Amino acid sequence: MEELFGNLGQLLSSTIRNATPLIFAALGGMFSERSGVVNIGLEGLMLISAFAGVVGAFLSGSALVGLGTAMAAGLLFALIHAVMTITFEADQIISGTAINLLALGGTGFLMVEVFGSGGTSPNVQGFSPVPIPLLADVPLVGPALFNQSLLVYLMYALVPTTYFLLFKTPFGLRLRGTGESPEAVDTAGVNVFRMRYFGVALSGLLASLGGVYLSMGILSAFTENMTGGRGFIALAALIFGRWHPVGAAGAALLFGFAQAFTFQAPQDVVPLEFLQMIPYILTLVVLAGFGGRAIAPAAIGKPYRKE
Amino acid sequence: MSEESREPRDEGGSAFGKFLRGVGGALVFPLIAIFIAFVIGALLVLASGNNPVAAYISLVQGAVGDPTAIGRTLLNATPLVFTGLAVAVAFRAGLFNIGGEGQVFIGAITAAWLAVSVGFLGLAAIPIVLLACVLTGFMWGAIPGFLKARFGAHEVITTIMLNFIAINLATYFALGPLRSEGIVPGTETIEAATRIPAIGLGLGRVNYGLAVALLAALVIYLLLWRTKLGFRIRAVGLSPGAANYAGMRIGTNTVLALAIGGAMAGLGGGVEVLGVYGKMSIPFVSNLGFNGIGVALLGRNHPVGVVLGALLFGGLASGAQEMQFATDVPLDLSDVLLAVILLLVTATKLVELIIGKRARALASGTRLDEGLGNQ
Amino acid sequence: MDAAPVVLEMKGVTKTFGPVTANDDISLTLKRGEILGLLGENGAGKSTLMKILYGLYSPDKGSISIEGEEVRIKDPKDAVSRGVGMVHQHFTLIPRLTVAENIVLGAEPTKGGRVDMAKAMKDTEELCERYGLRVDPRSRVADLSVGVRQRVEILKALYRNARILVLDEPTAVLTPQETEDLFSVLKELVGDGLSIILITHKLGELRGVSDNITIIRDGKVVATVKTSETDEGELAKLMVGREVLLRVSKEESEIGGVRLSATDLVVKGSAGSVAVHGVSLEVKAGEILGIAGVDGNGQTELAEALAGTRPVESGVVLLDGGDVTKVGANGRQGRGLAYVPEDRGSKGLVQDFSLSENNALKTYEKAPFSSRFGWIFPKAMRRSAAENLRAYDVRPPDPDARAGSLSGGNQQKAVLARELSGDPGVIVASQPTRGVDVGAIEFIHGQLLKQRAEGKAILLISLELEEVRSLSDRVIVLYNGRISGEVGPDATDEQLGLLMAGRGMDEEA
Repeated sequence: MEELFGNLGQLLSSTIRNATPLIFAALGGMFSERSGVVNIGLEGLMLISAFAGVVGAFLSGSALVGLGTAMAAGLLFALIHAVMTITFEADQIISGTAINLLALGGTGFLMVEVFGSGGTSPNVQGFSPVPIPLLADVPLVGPALFNQSLLVYLMYALVPTTYFLLFKTPFGLRLRGTGESPEAVDTAGVNVFRMRYFGVALSGLLASLGGVYLSMGILSAFTENMTGGRGFIALAALIFGRWHPVGAAGAALLFGFAQAFTFQAPQDVVPLEFLQMIPYILTLVVLAGFGGRAIAPAAIGKPYRKE
Repeated sequence: MSEESREPRDEGGSAFGKFLRGVGGALVFPLIAIFIAFVIGALLVLASGNNPVAAYISLVQGAVGDPTAIGRTLLNATPLVFTGLAVAVAFRAGLFNIGGEGQVFIGAITAAWLAVSVGFLGLAAIPIVLLACVLTGFMWGAIPGFLKARFGAHEVITTIMLNFIAINLATYFALGPLRSEGIVPGTETIEAATRIPAIGLGLGRVNYGLAVALLAALVIYLLLWRTKLGFRIRAVGLSPGAANYAGMRIGTNTVLALAIGGAMAGLGGGVEVLGVYGKMSIPFVSNLGFNGIGVALLGRNHPVGVVLGALLFGGLASGAQEMQFATDVPLDLSDVLLAVILLLVTATKLVELIIGKRARALASGTRLDEGLGNQ
Repeated sequence: MDAAPVVLEMKGVTKTFGPVTANDDISLTLKRGEILGLLGENGAGKSTLMKILYGLYSPDKGSISIEGEEVRIKDPKDAVSRGVGMVHQHFTLIPRLTVAENIVLGAEPTKGGRVDMAKAMKDTEELCERYGLRVDPRSRVADLSVGVRQRVEILKALYRNARILVLDEPTAVLTPQETEDLFSVLKELVGDGLSIILITHKLGELRGVSDNITIIRDGKVVATVKTSETDEGELAKLMVGREVLLRVSKEESEIGGVRLSATDLVVKGSAGSVAVHGVSLEVKAGEILGIAGVDGNGQTELAEALAGTRPVESGVVLLDGGDVTKVGANGRQGRGLAYVPEDRGSKGLVQDFSLSENNALKTYEKAPFSSRFGWIFPKAMRRSAAENLRAYDVRPPDPDARAGSLSGGNQQKAVLARELSGDPGVIVASQPTRGVDVGAIEFIHGQLLKQRAEGKAILLISLELEEVRSLSDRVIVLYNGRISGEVGPDATDEQLGLLMAGRGMDEEA
């Protein structure tokens, strides 16, 4: 019995750990896409932030400083995407791809400059798990949910916060309007460009939290290309979750569970690779319209030009 | 909207002159982008305490300095021609094919398996295997096409998802049913007789797969400008409204364009396995699909441009290795250069600011402004 | 009414877009509690003028005074703050959001950082009560009918305390019943002290709702009249009368048998509502049948249904006696029906294709342009295109020129060249000279007459009365998707105007 609980507890804990970076990135992507700007550069944003966080922690000895540098890097790269797509009307998909490539090349380049060699950086001060008193002792779920990194607790708080921001505040209302019909909000006196810049900037900040968690929440170092496609999985979670914070978080948890399960499940029953395919097949199914069409914000992908 | 009366442009001159002007016009954007990228790169190199001139010299040397370097460049460029064509054909129909990555894997695993099975046919097996790769790539590319035509599912997301599915699928086969008893995880090594022979001439490992790539580029050119299907694909891509009015089926041509793209990438995967690696080992190549996007864009979605773009990418990759070896500048700089080039090529307004309004008239060959929402 | 104070005065407003003068020294006065009709054809300049008032454009010359004070309106926010509200022709609503969210967006009531939805709902309900607008603030706009959506647009303006309300073609999308409802709401609003400008091109509907009417034609104010002192005939004359640019001389032609006919056609428009209500017509060989009417009365849909690019709900289309109702555009093309669509930009031509490729857009699959094995022969296409382009006076007659680089008139000639070169038996031409320069107009008219002389059957749809009259042998007038009457080319402006306004029909719509 205890063993079963132990395993379940472990499964839950892994699920949370896997899902956390996805949730951060997906929430970030949500703000960008809800404002009408496609952001497939989440992968790159996470990667550059993971790196910048480690650099900051390395140079200062403080994890918090690392968090700051990570968020700054994420914001910077996101702003590049914003300027290119909003002001210079570059294609949003290409810009996102370029951001990914830039992060890949940039981290590789700077790795050598800062740490002297590629591969893996030296260890740094990270955000190791901090148990919450009392809650962490709750049977089964306690350790899994409440003995996690501070960043995870931040994620818990962020889901309802983003929900509130998006659906209950004037900012959120205007942001959603911008993504659906920029002409409508423009005639209502809202600055479409400013809204979109905010949306993309938020995506940079939130995705950076996901990146920092990868390098300093689970591990304590940066490895080249450590995001490994998670930015794209986050995008899939966002679409699967219908661009809704709770839906995206739920989808990310599902994907995180699938990932955790693949390591715990007996592999002679279902091969590892097939389990890993599940999130992607699910998204395809969603896109094909089973379970309701995933309808993106109506004005997404097109630059806005005032008539 | 007011109707402006447009002055008919004076299109004087010979046909060849027109051709040159067309090519020249098409090249302006990419050349400017490349130039600016190199300037930014130079600044980065300077900031890291190195000498940009030395870095770029070794970059160029590593790309085309001697036969070995040229061979490396050509070797890198070959698969990029295929993935570049995969993206370019789809773009001509107004679609975004990001699935090159997965389509390459599908072709590769097809080749890795089939070439072993029909190895007894020797050289004759090669065209058979490559044809199979074309077919499986075609089918894999048809999936997002079908999802788009039937359900309106945007091909950007579906092709990304299919990438991961394809990679996992191929990995499963390579490490499972098709696994060989070797130290390196992957499929069995294909017999030498069934491999695409190297060109030799001191060019290193580059093989006649390059010829296949050039042939593929020619085929795509003929397809787009000399066949009925190509005519339809281009019409649908440039003006779905007019194409519809002319009775062309948007859905069918959508599926075909993406499927043909998949076929190209699949062929590329097959050529890599048969020509370069002789097997599919895990991990296999990476980023071919994504780099194909850059190649296609730089090449303005034209087969000739794709070949040139592939050479550029291949040269940069090859040269970057040499650069790192000779000057300590990390080879990742080439990725940074490519990213900047990509950004600049698509940020037409920015380049307009730099070289003036006439720039806008030079962009052609694509219609990338479809949104991501349901259409 | 005369004693009421002036709330809005626009003096000498001029606005140009490149070579086009949309507003030419326009002056307009609006009094408190007045409903002013702003009447004019499509493209006359009414929308531009109102966009200037709403701050979307700034005038090149002229001044605007609100409540006696001269103002400079920089943007919509500014206009709103001065009490100007606009109900746009194409609704600026966000379908995914609720009514209440749409109404308050940009001016949200807040409580501690969050949107005070409760207050928004209450305020909305109050407005509904006061003006008799029935809307459920909780419903999603996407679920609402067009008539209700319009009410939301009006509420948006009222929520921001509009004192001057401008409605741009509000009845274009409404049923007669919804139109009645709208007008009673407007009367409530002026009873409360608002002033209203009603933009329309439907000259019939202003009777009974507007106090005065200002007529605009080609960017200029033609007249301002009291509604009670005028009639539709006079309005029609003022609205559409123009100097006779071209009087094409037409010879008598031999009229043959019926080549194209439609019986009881019912066609739905793109918005889903019925646009053509049971139209029957016949076009004979050697004649030009003109279809006149104000834009938006079903002409476009009728043309598309006859050409085969839009399906019919019911009715029959016969081409040379054969039933083609279920046959698509390509099939009808094959049977000799040529279609010159009204949107050459996005439907007639592929702008980025060369003229040669456009010339072969419908025939690329046939010899000599292509072979059995799927090949096409660009050289053959170029040769054929060169011939056609010269024959139809396209400038420059360069098969390799990009279609989009040609002027509007030349593009239209290129479309004509393609459609007519196949020697069709029946031609449907929808607004063939829209946006085309005078020289090209002359040429196109000549071509149509030539085809007529060769015994083809031609259906000409046009918004230009002079064009319709001078080219057609018979003219039928469409109003609200029905034929309101048939006249000969010698009909007067007044007669046509009445028919265009729906008068002269056997039964009221």
